[in-house]
Amino acid sequence: MVLLITAVFLILLLSIVIPLIGLKLKHSSLRKISLILIMLACLISIFLSLQVLLGKDISFQIFVSGTAFSMLIDSLAAFFIIIISIVGFCVSIYSISYAEHFESVKKRNFLVSLMALFILSMMFVVISHNLLGFLFFWELMSISSFLLVLFDYEKEETKKAGIFYFVMTQLGTIFLIFSFILIYINTGTLDFTNTSLSPFLSSILFITLAIGFGTKAGMVPFHKWLSYAHPASPSSISALMSGVMIKVAIYGLIRFLFIISQQQLWWGIAILIFGTISALLGIIYALKEQDLKRLLAYSSIENIGIILISIGLYMIFTYYSLPAIALVALFAGLFHAFNHSLFKSLLFMTAGSVVNATHTKNIEKMGGLVKNMKYTSLLFLIGAISISALPPFNGFVSELMIFQVFFKSNSISSPLIKLILMISMSLFALTSALAAACFVKAFGIVFLAVPRSKEAKEAKEADKFMLVGPAILAILCMVIGVFSFQILNFIGEKAGVSFDLPNLLWISIGTFIIGVIAYLIIRNIGNKHSRVSETWGCGINSQNSKMEYTASGFSEPIVTIFSSIYQPKKINKPTFYDSKGVIFKEGQASLSLIKFFEEYLYLPPLKMVHYISEKLYKIQNKIDLDSFILYIFLTILALLIIVGVVIR
Amino acid sequence: MISFFLFAIVNILVVLILAPFYISLIKKVKALFQGRKGPKLFQAYYNLLKLFKKESIYSTNSSFIMRVAPYINIICSIVAILFVPLLFIPDNYFGFGNIILFLYILALAKFFMALAGLDAGSTFGGMGSSREMSISSIIEPIVIIIFATLAFVYNSVNFFEIFGATSVGLVHASLWLLLIPLIIVLLTETARIPIDNPETHLELTMVHEAMILEQSGKNLALMELSSGVKQVLLMAIIINLFFPIGFNLPLSLIGIGTSLIAFLIKSIILAISIGIIESFIAKSRLFRLPIIFAIAFLLSLITLMMEMLL
Repeated sequence: MVLLITAVFLILLLSIVIPLIGLKLKHSSLRKISLILIMLACLISIFLSLQVLLGKDISFQIFVSGTAFSMLIDSLAAFFIIIISIVGFCVSIYSISYAEHFESVKKRNFLVSLMALFILSMMFVVISHNLLGFLFFWELMSISSFLLVLFDYEKEETKKAGIFYFVMTQLGTIFLIFSFILIYINTGTLDFTNTSLSPFLSSILFITLAIGFGTKAGMVPFHKWLSYAHPASPSSISALMSGVMIKVAIYGLIRFLFIISQQQLWWGIAILIFGTISALLGIIYALKEQDLKRLLAYSSIENIGIILISIGLYMIFTYYSLPAIALVALFAGLFHAFNHSLFKSLLFMTAGSVVNATHTKNIEKMGGLVKNMKYTSLLFLIGAISISALPPFNGFVSELMIFQVFFKSNSISSPLIKLILMISMSLFALTSALAAACFVKAFGIVFLAVPRSKEAKEAKEADKFMLVGPAILAILCMVIGVFSFQILNFIGEKAGVSFDLPNLLWISIGTFIIGVIAYLIIRNIGNKHSRVSETWGCGINSQNSKMEYTASGFSEPIVTIFSSIYQPKKINKPTFYDSKGVIFKEGQASLSLIKFFEEYLYLPPLKMVHYISEKLYKIQNKIDLDSFILYIFLTILALLIIVGVVIR
Repeated sequence: MISFFLFAIVNILVVLILAPFYISLIKKVKALFQGRKGPKLFQAYYNLLKLFKKESIYSTNSSFIMRVAPYINIICSIVAILFVPLLFIPDNYFGFGNIILFLYILALAKFFMALAGLDAGSTFGGMGSSREMSISSIIEPIVIIIFATLAFVYNSVNFFEIFGATSVGLVHASLWLLLIPLIIVLLTETARIPIDNPETHLELTMVHEAMILEQSGKNLALMELSSGVKQVLLMAIIINLFFPIGFNLPLSLIGIGTSLIAFLIKSIILAISIGIIESFIAKSRLFRLPIIFAIAFLLSLITLMMEMLL
């Protein structure tokens, strides 16, 4: 076993190095070898993790200059390794063609190399069982992803996104380091061991952990980096970051929550509330978005919210010592993390193909792609159905499990908690319905109707590798959905949990039989003739793309209904020739939505730092000698007083 | 096993045969209130047959979505029929009957219907899809709260089990409060006044009609039939929850026959009341709808909290 892990490590190292050897080599063979090696490593680690899930844990230690980096693959780690490996495998297939789209040869090689580093670091974050190792690979993961976000560094927009991502992610790490120090002081060891602190200190530990991991996961209000980093980075990397990296943060949160003993009730409630807010705001922001990749990024925030909701439920039910329900909640969250990684990377990859074909990320300039990009559109459709939680696909099953946990909240004694749970449940229901609306918009505006630009009209179908990678994920989405009852029963038996789920296999078979019968009957009764003709345009001779519904038009009712959240600012300043305002001269009109978190949460501390540093700058900037001597004098005086007080 | 097959066949046939009837019945009631004679009671059947016999016209812009959406709609509706027992409850139900699955199967149908609305590239279709998805999003919390209440009261998330409990007289008094939100959900999901107006072709008011404007012939017939089926199912939920007299008699030919007659009487009364409600209420403005939904939400939340705390 340990040999296999070493093999994975070495293979991934090799695939980091190989593209760098031929950095200026135009031929794609080295990149292909490297990508195939990544796939191999992913396959080995899937095999390994399945062994762990079926059998027993693997643990081993690596000594680096006297410090032990202990590693452990238990079922939790194995589960997340499977997520990383499946997505890594499919993204590697996709990248065989995708990497060749970049102009500069150096960039193509760097993309593959950094991707291998990124996957390696994520895998080793998950199996690290030691604070130091965890932090090391965590930072490696952050830095490699930062470099990948900055991939198109020539663009001004990308630079901003990269810096934003870097600052946010490092702020998160500061919180993590702080909490790790707390754990270390308490336990005296760098290993993950049970930590029992005073209620106050353990609450502080919880807060720092939640902020640290929440920032990486994209929890509201620390979510802003996702909407910048995802559109800026290459699509294969967005797929990895959104599909996998934010799940690694969820892994960290669960892992560290397990080692804090004496959990308090309000922790679970806090996670639940922040999860609900993330889910709702994520999807509400996604709905109004016109940048395809940013829309998907916001939808990731929604799904992280859903995962956090189930973790919150797990903590609340554990507090009330209802382990049977609590475990269902935890499994629902993990299952949703798994499902989300499948369909979100599927969506990001197909979105990448669309962006490549149309050379724009703005969905208002797309449309009609279903005709030229048949397979891509079908794959995107499957992703859209899965993420909208519609049966029989996998997204539905995890949301169903969460609903069923909510339905059991009657067993909690406290009325207040019940009320909170019920409100959270109805908002969760709203979220999943809005997700369906959001993806009707995404699919409908991007793929259906008349092309809205020349590029969209001339788009070409993606390369075969760019179809195979997402296709595997699409098939998995379907298979896992249909066989969910069998899969979860198998897992449930091992873990001693019973999930009360409908048997989707029976229902799918039933649906299939009904479908065939209905189709045959309709075919025989109905008129078989059909005709193709122009869309009715109220008397206008030919339909053009300007007459279609737009993406902003589609989301307009929802923007109006939720205007208190969006706070749309309408600016309308007309000027007139005459005094009564009849003859229009010129004017300016714009509609913008408030950037609440940036304007009210991120900017004030920034302004404060600016303010303080400006003041300090003034002090330092006086170059005359007298004032410096005065400073020295004042410092010595202050020191003397302090020393005097302390010694006495 | 056999009883399930019997159930499946009886349920599907009854719902499919009855579905068009209520469409014309409600129209008739409204016509009478407006002082008109109104259509024949079986007019909807003639309409469907006529549409089935007509050729389908597809837009030049449209894709496979337009072609599969009617089939997906009708298949989803038929599968949904298997979730709501109308006349009796079989011994075994093979995983059917889950409330949430029922809702999401209908949502799948709606998803494709909305996509088909966008497919032809017509402004009407897009407008209909946009409004329909917005309305169905904001009604969702109410639906979930209603079903959560049922799940708490009957300790089950399965229609078969819940109706099994109501049929032996386990109806809580406080549950009657749910009737109002349920009727609002019924009016919303079947695109009726005050949420939507099924009769006009005026872009200010239409939602559902706009979405299926580009459908024609056989496909339109399938769309109409599936919305008829949805209406019967939602009516059946209300009837079997609150007025379960004659439901689930011992399994025999006479038992099923009696249940059928009882269901017919109850559903005709309900359909007539829907017609009356529609005649007395004006269509609400689209952006006034959240107020109606807020009322429904509040009522269902109050019921839920009452059931949970008392």
